[in-house]
Amino acid sequence: MGHPVTTNPFIIMMINMTVVFFVLIALSGIIHLIHKLDPTKEPEEVSEIPEADEHAAIIAKLKEQQKAAQVVETPQVEEGITPEIIAAISAAIAACGFSGQVRAVKIVGRENSGWRRNALDNGLRNKV
Amino acid sequence: MEFFNAFSVSLQAVWNDSGFSAFTIGNGIMIIVGLLLLYMAFVREFEPLLLGPIAFGCILANFPNTEFFGEEMNVMKAIRYGINYEIFPPLIFLGIGAMTDFGPLLARPSTLLLGAAAQIGVFVALAGAMIVGFDIKEAAAIGIIGGADGPTSIYLSIKLAPHLLGAIAVAAYTYMSLVPMIQPPIMKVLTTQKEREIVMTELRTVTKFERVVFPIVATIFISLLLPPIAALLGMLMLGNLFRESGVTDRLSDTAQNSLCNIVTIFLATGTGMTMNADDFLKADTLLIICLGLVAFMGGTAGGVIFGKIMCKMTGGAINPLIGSAGVSAVPMAARVSQLVGMRSKPGNYLLMHAMGPNVAGVIGTAVAAGTMLAMLK
Repeated sequence: MGHPVTTNPFIIMMINMTVVFFVLIALSGIIHLIHKLDPTKEPEEVSEIPEADEHAAIIAKLKEQQKAAQVVETPQVEEGITPEIIAAISAAIAACGFSGQVRAVKIVGRENSGWRRNALDNGLRNKV
Repeated sequence: MEFFNAFSVSLQAVWNDSGFSAFTIGNGIMIIVGLLLLYMAFVREFEPLLLGPIAFGCILANFPNTEFFGEEMNVMKAIRYGINYEIFPPLIFLGIGAMTDFGPLLARPSTLLLGAAAQIGVFVALAGAMIVGFDIKEAAAIGIIGGADGPTSIYLSIKLAPHLLGAIAVAAYTYMSLVPMIQPPIMKVLTTQKEREIVMTELRTVTKFERVVFPIVATIFISLLLPPIAALLGMLMLGNLFRESGVTDRLSDTAQNSLCNIVTIFLATGTGMTMNADDFLKADTLLIICLGLVAFMGGTAGGVIFGKIMCKMTGGAINPLIGSAGVSAVPMAARVSQLVGMRSKPGNYLLMHAMGPNVAGVIGTAVAAGTMLAMLK
């Protein structure tokens, strides 16, 4: 082992904090760069996540479109659910023996649902 | 008569070879310490996976005449080699990498700064250790306890102050297990009710491309900049690559389960076996435990204060409570952010947001260790 460069704790602290911040800021830049260069990202991901009012505007627009199309018998469908999923849900409901019309199909917090959170929470408990 | 003489000599030889003949008060005290740690691990459930084998190793290390570390090779000596030659900490990092989801960090890279800010505790403890009389290498090894990262603490201790390994490892793992008790009061003191109630916006979706490319690029960048920690960071990122590639499920499964569990047993037992009375029962040990607490509290405070700064700068988009997770201690510190947030506002889920700084803390602690190795070794 050689001799330490310095033994002044203040200098060591300043140099270390500078290096730690530099490396992590550089990693942050790398993450942004990877995101920019990502050829697989969906086009809408280029823009920022829509604000709540923008969401509301999109949903209102969809509702208007639905009304315009006068599709009275179709259920109220939230944004992001494809007709194939509606068809699959309808088929599953019919297969289970339920009759009647589906009034609404909603996504219950895909990323942030209680079930998902509980599962994550439970999984994290067992880590080292 | 001859029979009785032979019997007496044999009995004497058995007694001389037994542990009782060389048993000291120090050994007795350390066995009691080991039993206390066992109680904490198995009854109070403080980090039982780690504290359990550490405690049992401590008990084993204090039986005299065991020849665990004599001339001949045996399992205990092999375990000791695994620690002394820095084999186990990188293997643990492989498992941690395979278990860790970098998604929250990739979705919000700004949280890397919280992981950096929480490293302030490392350097506060380093300065404190020098003030109380430790030399610079010992002080650096003690300071890293503030990173709340067991394998990195062990890695740096072996390189800079191997004689302090037992005390540093025990302090690091004990405080990691006490994170739910140490952090909340500091978090509450440093934040207002309004700040604690901030609900953060949902994280964006991270693509597989980002998840796969990040560990590769990060390894290249960090290993070139700080070669002393290439083994630690490289294994962390390799484990993560196994997890994210989608085509190495078997390797990922082995790394995060079987391998990690096996190495945890060896690393923790071996660490416990460094706690023999001669090395452990010193005033320095108490000092190290006190300095470790200072380091932990400093790191938590640093993260929360930087979280407040980010909260102000982003117009209230960041909840400062996630800053405390920057001390690593994955995932315990993130869970504490979640719990404190939930107590302030039921339904406020901060866990995934806190995982960003939590993972950043692991990288930050390794970078801090690498910088100190580059400067001091």
